[in-house]
Amino acid sequence: MSDPILTVEDLRVTYGRVEAVRSVSFRAEPGSLVTLVGANGAGKSSVINAVSGLLRPAGGRITFEGQDITRTPAHKLVGRGLVQVPEGRQILATLTIEENLQMGGWHSGNGGAGSIDAMYDRFPVLAERRALPAGALSGGEQQMLAIARALVAGPKVMLMDEPSMGLAPKIVDEVFRVIEEIRASGTTVVLVEQNARRALRAADHGYVMASGEVVHSGRAADLLADERIVQAYLGVESGS
Amino acid sequence: MQQLLNGIFIGSIYALFAIGFTLVFGILDRLNLAHPAVFAASAFVGIELVERGGLSLWAALPLVFVVGGVLGLLIERLAFRPLKGRADAHFAGLISSIALAGMLIALLQWRYGPDTRRFPPGSFPDTRFEVFGAQVTLVQVVILAVSLALMVGLTYMVTRTRLGRGMRAVAENPTAARVLGVDVDRVTAVTFAISSALGAVAGVLFAINVNTAQLGMGAAIELKGLAVIIVGGMGSLPGALIGGLLLGLAEVFAVQYIGSSWIDVIAFGLLFVILLLRPQGLLGARKVREV
Repeated sequence: MSDPILTVEDLRVTYGRVEAVRSVSFRAEPGSLVTLVGANGAGKSSVINAVSGLLRPAGGRITFEGQDITRTPAHKLVGRGLVQVPEGRQILATLTIEENLQMGGWHSGNGGAGSIDAMYDRFPVLAERRALPAGALSGGEQQMLAIARALVAGPKVMLMDEPSMGLAPKIVDEVFRVIEEIRASGTTVVLVEQNARRALRAADHGYVMASGEVVHSGRAADLLADERIVQAYLGVESGS
Repeated sequence: MQQLLNGIFIGSIYALFAIGFTLVFGILDRLNLAHPAVFAASAFVGIELVERGGLSLWAALPLVFVVGGVLGLLIERLAFRPLKGRADAHFAGLISSIALAGMLIALLQWRYGPDTRRFPPGSFPDTRFEVFGAQVTLVQVVILAVSLALMVGLTYMVTRTRLGRGMRAVAENPTAARVLGVDVDRVTAVTFAISSALGAVAGVLFAINVNTAQLGMGAAIELKGLAVIIVGGMGSLPGALIGGLLLGLAEVFAVQYIGSSWIDVIAFGLLFVILLLRPQGLLGARKVREV
């Protein structure tokens, strides 16, 4: 087993007096897909935002490529290859699609011209409308733009927060197909999802969170096979 | 014709002042009420540079631009950044920038006294042109050219460059900007610097135009600047340009046809009417705010 590219040890996140994350530890091996699943309010997004530097942890330690990044702000991490696709997509609606992609290459200074062309090849729907404001895109297209924008930054680790949220089932399929492609290209993916079964099917490793703690972890297939975990934390299978 | 040109000259200075004002508002959603003090201070600095530094008027302009930029960085650091993240940051920023403006004006009074100051005799070239039967001085032409060049340059910067994209990203959604790797504090500071640099050049151009610098000149233009950016549409750069020119023209024609004591009644009355007809301002978009 190689050294993990990302480790989180005893992470604690608080909002005022509210403790959103009590003690969370996990690790991601290079090139793997790791998922944090759990109900709404379990603290998953807080973990992601602490790792990406948007939130300052109250305690614990985070390392990326062996270096301590516990208190490194977000803008210094993107250029090092730790890139987030935030919850709710956070598209810049008044900027054009092209400008959104250029913002993905902010840290490289040149707007990432080469990789933007690669994104247009990969997501033709973005290429057709590159000069339009990003707010004109549908929800699913905005999610593709958010992913493409993060890819322009050249991530080694991609943190994805609820990428399937609010999307139609067909679009969710497409999002997961793209996630698997990203992983297949060698990028490590840390995926936070409420759609737990779906995420665990795609993942190598899973961590089940409840009330700010990791309550179960293991190989994703093993978690899915464990009836008690499925019943207690993952809810009833809904259709798919 | 003469009045039309005079209105455009003074209006271009109003526009340059207002565009700096509206830049900070549009991008950072903050009203920087120290902006008028920068306007006044740079007029005195400009005169000092010519009088003591022995510079020509034109050589003083780029220096004043730099001085304004430094003042902008100081304003951001002292009056705005310490309040960042507070729930009442909007209101607190207004008050702290007023306080800073008061201190800046007090410093000017200490240094220069309460009297009106003028450029030393012979600072102005006496080249004149005749345009459509109206008299225009070289100084006026340069004022207009400098104002327009700065405003066009700013618009290009905001719409076409990487820094401008970053500014617009911060304006729309600071969290998204951070996720993308933008150092929001730094973009904020640069925005203040550019805004104040433009306000500073406006101040020295104003002083050149009337050959006068007074402690009260900031307060005098403050309300006009606010009116211009509201009429133009809060945060709209071209709106500030059009608003500034309109105000300049309204003032000059009010003096010409009605009498100089009516100048503010006419100018502000006109702005009032525009706002009645178009509450969002001439070029203001109805902003949809997402939380």
